[in-house]
Amino acid sequence: MNFRATIFIFCALTTPVWGGDAVDYTKEIKPILSGICYQCHSETQQKHGLRLDTAAYALKGGQSGPAIVPGKSDESLLIKAVSGTAKDLARMPFKKTPLDDEKITLLKRWIDQGAKSPADEKAESVLHWAFVPCPAVVPVPDVKQKSWLHTPIDNFILARMEKANITPSPEADRITLIRRVFLDLTGLPPTISEVDAFVNDKSGDAYEKLVERLLASQHYGERWGRHWLDAARYADSNGYSIDSPRQIWKYRDWVIDALNRDMPFDQFTIEQIAGDMLPHATLSQKVATGFHRNTQINQEGGIDKEQFRVESIIDRVNTTATTWLGLTVGCAQCHDHKFDPITQKEYYQFFAFLNNQEEPELTVAAPLELANQAALKKQIDRTENDLKKYANSLTNEIVTWQKSLTPEQVAKLKTEITTVLETPPDKRNLTQKLALLDVVRHDDPTYKNRRAMLTSLEKKRPNFVTTMVMEERKKPRETFLFIKGDFTRHGDPVKPGVPKILQPLPANATNANRLDLARWLVDPENPLTARVTMNRIWMRYFASGIVETENDFGTQGSGPTHPELLDWLANEFVKQKWSQKAMHRLIVTSATYRQSSRARPELANIDPYNKLLARQNRFRLDAEIVRDVELAASGLLSRKIGGPSVFPPIPDGVMNLGQSKHEWKVSEGEDRYRRGIYTFFYRATPPPELMVFDEPESTSACTRRMRSNTPLQSLTLLNDDGFLEFAQGLALRLMKEVPQSDDQRITRAFQLCLSREPKPDEHTRVKELLAQQLQSYSSESEAKSILQKKIPAGADVKQLAAWTTVSRVLLNLDETITRE
Amino acid sequence: MSKHFFNSDPGLDLRETTRRQFFGKCAMGLGGIALASMLSEQNMFGGETIKLVNPLHPKPGNSPAKTKNIIYLFMAGGPSQLDLFDYKPKLNEYNGQPIPDSYLKGKRFAFMDTFAKNPPKLLGSKRKFSRRGQSGAWVSELFPHTATIVDDISLVHSCATDVFNHAPAKLFMNTGSVQFGRPSMGAWVTYGIGSESKNLPGFVVLLSGPRGPRGGAVNWASGFLPTSYQGVPLRGQGEPILNLSNPQGVSDKRQRQTIDAIRDLNLKRLVETGDEEIRTRISAYEMAYRMQSSAPELIDLSSETKATKDLYGIKEGEPSFARNCLLARRLIERGSRFVQLYHTNWDSHGGPGEDLEKSFEKITREVDQSSAALVKDLKQRGLLEDTLVIWGGEFGRTPMGEVREQTGRNHHIDSFTMWFAGGGVKAGQVLGQTDELGFSPVEDRCHVHDIHATILHLLGLEHTKLTFRFQGRDFRLTDVHGELITKLIA
Repeated sequence: MNFRATIFIFCALTTPVWGGDAVDYTKEIKPILSGICYQCHSETQQKHGLRLDTAAYALKGGQSGPAIVPGKSDESLLIKAVSGTAKDLARMPFKKTPLDDEKITLLKRWIDQGAKSPADEKAESVLHWAFVPCPAVVPVPDVKQKSWLHTPIDNFILARMEKANITPSPEADRITLIRRVFLDLTGLPPTISEVDAFVNDKSGDAYEKLVERLLASQHYGERWGRHWLDAARYADSNGYSIDSPRQIWKYRDWVIDALNRDMPFDQFTIEQIAGDMLPHATLSQKVATGFHRNTQINQEGGIDKEQFRVESIIDRVNTTATTWLGLTVGCAQCHDHKFDPITQKEYYQFFAFLNNQEEPELTVAAPLELANQAALKKQIDRTENDLKKYANSLTNEIVTWQKSLTPEQVAKLKTEITTVLETPPDKRNLTQKLALLDVVRHDDPTYKNRRAMLTSLEKKRPNFVTTMVMEERKKPRETFLFIKGDFTRHGDPVKPGVPKILQPLPANATNANRLDLARWLVDPENPLTARVTMNRIWMRYFASGIVETENDFGTQGSGPTHPELLDWLANEFVKQKWSQKAMHRLIVTSATYRQSSRARPELANIDPYNKLLARQNRFRLDAEIVRDVELAASGLLSRKIGGPSVFPPIPDGVMNLGQSKHEWKVSEGEDRYRRGIYTFFYRATPPPELMVFDEPESTSACTRRMRSNTPLQSLTLLNDDGFLEFAQGLALRLMKEVPQSDDQRITRAFQLCLSREPKPDEHTRVKELLAQQLQSYSSESEAKSILQKKIPAGADVKQLAAWTTVSRVLLNLDETITRE
Repeated sequence: MSKHFFNSDPGLDLRETTRRQFFGKCAMGLGGIALASMLSEQNMFGGETIKLVNPLHPKPGNSPAKTKNIIYLFMAGGPSQLDLFDYKPKLNEYNGQPIPDSYLKGKRFAFMDTFAKNPPKLLGSKRKFSRRGQSGAWVSELFPHTATIVDDISLVHSCATDVFNHAPAKLFMNTGSVQFGRPSMGAWVTYGIGSESKNLPGFVVLLSGPRGPRGGAVNWASGFLPTSYQGVPLRGQGEPILNLSNPQGVSDKRQRQTIDAIRDLNLKRLVETGDEEIRTRISAYEMAYRMQSSAPELIDLSSETKATKDLYGIKEGEPSFARNCLLARRLIERGSRFVQLYHTNWDSHGGPGEDLEKSFEKITREVDQSSAALVKDLKQRGLLEDTLVIWGGEFGRTPMGEVREQTGRNHHIDSFTMWFAGGGVKAGQVLGQTDELGFSPVEDRCHVHDIHATILHLLGLEHTKLTFRFQGRDFRLTDVHGELITKLIA
């Protein structure tokens, strides 16, 4: 007999005894209804015309009549529905766990007792917390341990801890702290001298000064830009099957630059969603609209172009909702959202904002440069025309000359000329004609002058970069609701509009367009954007957001662990004029952030997921940063910012995995050693060394990366040629920079990889490995075989080989690829 | 966040062990102990055990299983069922006639923009068909070997999908969705029941043919599931798994010494920080090391008899679909859970290299013998009942021809043929009938979602219960659809 059955019998037997106790509607019934029924039967949704959020509504009922008949539970539809005995009506709650018998019995008793309820009962607003605007003022809580506080953030965190009788962790040691804040703000480890300077800076604001330096670093834009590019699903190819390369890196550079300049987040948003529609839009503002051009393009034969245009708009709608609103609206593409108050019609109203643009490529050049280019083109055309006329006038002469050629003379001609001669005279293009004239009229000064002029003009032709942008159409497309999400089945036409549950568009926004949408997203009245953005920033620092489901602030998401803190941060963000740097400063200077990340066994049961943040979290670095850190340790890293994507070495055969085999010509010089954010990304054949560390696939918006821990990661760090090159680089660097002794070299190796010195037992273990390696090489050629080609002349090969092994070990350590 | 996927053993007090044993012995060299430990797997530190963790640790499904593993022969490009399995004498009779409008009404096709200029005409099959085996299934002359296994398989003529372009259709067949970012079937399966193999990946992908499948990596992606579950491509040439071999010049001994040192230093950090994720990393390095010796053994076919190689039609030293079929069997034998083979290019539009004549004959030859050999070989080794073998493309081809240089057919989503064999599948049946032109199923339509539901069912996974919560919603391979194809189940 199971437990539930036991209870049922118990209740059934005892009901008569309890029968006299009056059921309290407010305390006993309402919680059942609100927990189970309100989702579909209250203010926001009234399935089947039924509301159950007041007893009066229940009495009134819906399309099937009253839900309750006071005094007669057997006749009440509500009881039949939850028991699954109603005719023509599914068991309620629909497709969810049935009510247990205890609850049903309680409902029955309440009805049998007359279904009494307070006369003044009013429907509560059941607005989900995330749709309620932040309170104008969020009081900062008071705490006991005031000495711990650095920023108001700490009050919120400590207040919760004090309530749970938990004390915070001590501050992390200085070395851990500088490495942490370097990795978090710039994605690069500190150099040894930076570590030393910080450790030795005894001034009270040493840490704050460090933070300022890092916020001013150009690498800040790379680090935080990469998070943003994940959401933008940025990549360097078109995706789907053919996956041709595309040029949109100017957009990537725009993001990096905007963050470095601390462009306010509202402007950052507006320029990306609708920069092209701003009055007198600048080149940079147009480049910013690349955000929504990062959708894939299907170049497969036989496709319906409209279908894939629609697909890309759907992706844009979903990406916008995920990125700014933290909502999953995708469900509403086919039907009203099951859980969140978003209707299918509203989905297509949102769609209508984004359904009205051309998708051109923009030549990235200043107006003056473009004017020059146009003038030059005219000049080239004119010269070409002249030459064409001249060549045509000599057609007969050329034909005569060609006829006069003896086989011996032909044999002496260059192959390019003979090829032209094989082409019939009337089929020859200008280049071919000129090639012949170069031979026939080589002593004609007029010809030669014009010819030289053309060549020099063509050399001047500028090679402008292009980038993919949005451009609003003059005449809007008509948007329809797609029945069941099928673009071939048009429902009613819809106009651009925003979900009713959120703040309305300004009253004067008739014929609202993409620019209105952009402004609406960052309207301080919007209850979601600031919260969602701050929650994600928080997540980057603590591994989990205040709202764990950072991409679902809807009713199915998890609630915030510190709701007041989230509201306070959102308010502060707007108050700081949407400055992201201000918010970063606030977080990284907090005592909360500075805590040690050491596990605390005494909290393992009280707070197993560290939701109260009584310590920092320790987590693996992102894919690009894993590589960046190793590059930095090896001394090979190029710190160049921006520019076209680069092609570091990748294993053979990687480019064969997709339909098209694209070329991968390994970059030379410093481009071989650029940061991972600049690695060329083919969607169908992405770089394996990034993918293995959870790089997103760049096919849809990714706002939070997974952190897996797999044998393939181990194989990559151990055996990949690229990483081996870094190990040899590190070994060479150690030998060159630390000629003194093995002990000092070991210390330096730890400092370069982990920013800290080795503990004595670590030192011993590595020294033992070194000795083992040095002993085991029987010959120089054996030692040489492990090294890559670049061995400096005069290097001690056995030493270098042994140190390369030591370097491999250090570059493979968990700590090296972890931020503690 | 990925922690709860790992089968770790928190009861073990590794820290104490380590403090006592490891750093005390450091001076005399731990390498020896560690090397010994490799031989007895996880037995380190003076006889005390450290429990390794494995995210793909095998686990029971949520319902009784009928089979354990899958080999999925993915015929990339969409094979013409009308020239292989779905015999339509009426289609031959109406050859050259325009297809009645009633068939096309409301339907969409690839290259539909050409229909106005060249109204599609019915195209009979040139191929001779005959009834084969006890079941009397029709098989075309192009599949003489497959014809010999019809009594071991279920031929399903009534498969249907939703999308008619290659990349989206492949995505749909693999992930149950045309939206990107969803996990593939192999990822769902290894997430659901893990993998028996400790030394090889649980989900392996093998490619053959002139090019990779359209869409590439998204076809075996883990989507929102942890990347531990993503498919690992086994390479046709060179090292079988990327970065599997030691770096050039690094002996096995030296590699072991390297990994030992990494492990010792990682252990120390584990003790200091108390971060269990380091234990997972230590385990990952050990599995990587084991993989380094298991994977070369896997692809070394020298232990296979000549008879076996001949059965598959393997030519020595040549990457091919045949070799991949044998590798699939070897992977299953070694505990891998989900092996997916892609063979290109079945896209028989009628263009150069893509016709239903010589090109089609060539590709049918490339897969016929080895597909049949795989079923026979598994059967004779007693592995077939533990293995579900699936053969099919992302869609089929139209009963209408296309106007190109040579004979060809367009993409068709309404009906196409797949076959299923082995664990839990009824042997020797033909399921699902199509109309007289082979355009639509007239009974037992088996939609992609139904196929997915049935595959999961056979593996002991009830498709409505195999879920992963992402963005506030419980996602499934079958989305909100999927009915079991009961007639397919033995």
